[in-house]
Amino acid sequence: MWNQGGYSESSMAGGYTQSPGGFASPALSQGGEKKGRTRANQIIPCTVSQLMSASQADESFRVGDVDVAQVTIVGVIRSTDKSMTNIQYKVDDMTGAPMDVKQWVDTEDQSVDSTVLPPGTYVKVSGNLRSFQNHRSVVAFSVRPLEDMNEITSHMLEVVQAHMALSKPQTMSGAGGGMSSSAMPMSRPTMGGMDGNVGGYAGANDMTNNGLSANQNQVLCLIRSCPEPQGISIQELKKRLGSMSIAVIKQAVEFLSNEGHIFSTIDEDHYKSTDSDD
Amino acid sequence: MASLLDASKPRINCSMLSQHIGRGVCFVGRVEKVHPTGKTFSVSDGEGKSATVELNEPLEEELSGIVEVIGMVSSKGVITTTTYNILREDKGIPFDLELYNEALKVIHDFPQHYPFEVAASG
Repeated sequence: MWNQGGYSESSMAGGYTQSPGGFASPALSQGGEKKGRTRANQIIPCTVSQLMSASQADESFRVGDVDVAQVTIVGVIRSTDKSMTNIQYKVDDMTGAPMDVKQWVDTEDQSVDSTVLPPGTYVKVSGNLRSFQNHRSVVAFSVRPLEDMNEITSHMLEVVQAHMALSKPQTMSGAGGGMSSSAMPMSRPTMGGMDGNVGGYAGANDMTNNGLSANQNQVLCLIRSCPEPQGISIQELKKRLGSMSIAVIKQAVEFLSNEGHIFSTIDEDHYKSTDSDD
Repeated sequence: MASLLDASKPRINCSMLSQHIGRGVCFVGRVEKVHPTGKTFSVSDGEGKSATVELNEPLEEELSGIVEVIGMVSSKGVITTTTYNILREDKGIPFDLELYNEALKVIHDFPQHYPFEVAASG
């Protein structure tokens, strides 16, 4: 009985001993092990904007250099919608439109009825990022109202710290984004608003084995992919790399030029790659 | 004005008001003086600077303590409120406004790790 009709795959004893990840089919468990290097082990503080711009490969998400699966967000409830099986919240952390948060309800438990949190409540949501038909949401295993509003402050700091600590360390000379951004603290003149393209190019060309930092690689990739004979301009690079400041881009360009990866063309603002793909 | 809530509302203090004119923002501060009409009040940020907040409807409650105002910055640096939320300190834990101000500086120093815009995902 236990071995008939696929039941053996989901049976408890058999499942655990044969597939360490608990996945049903062998194919999936292979993929799970490969992808599971850092994924399921960490819960990462994030902003809603990061979750919405995260790049997606199959079932896994990436914010810049950081794999995210389990996340925490801190925000205020804007609306609630209760159904028989779940409670849906829209949680706003100011970084973008409110995020859909779904919390499953134990239909057997009558006391759950009174636990729908009202709009205006600040909460800390812990759960998994999901994408369904291009729509992002968080399936929460915990939605806890804040009692200490200083958790808003600590979450802001934790987000920056976690993403900074988990991002690939900058190599080589100081052309890395981390060092430059600390050298230009409050100088973010609003050129039509703040931009933060954290989800950007991650995973497109993972060539950090070549000794270049993530920023330098992004710049080099863009320069390489430009088909124009006069190359790509610094202004165009800035447009395409929203999160990188002009100073960081220029530093990367200078480094790449010194190393011989790129050369200037019609003027000091236009560059082509020395080994372009044409 | 509900659309303002559906966009990003950068957290700012008074020094950053001028850089966000015409934009939706989120301002957290301590309520200072409430105008007798109840339609405007002043708030101070973690650096001790003050800003003016205007409401569409007069206040229906006593406003004091720490408030989080979401609204648009006018050309005069006044915040016209879309919605506001009182950060309750009734659990006996005071909100550290100065520390919040430090956190503001951090998130503005590192916009790549705390973005206030949703980038188009590839």
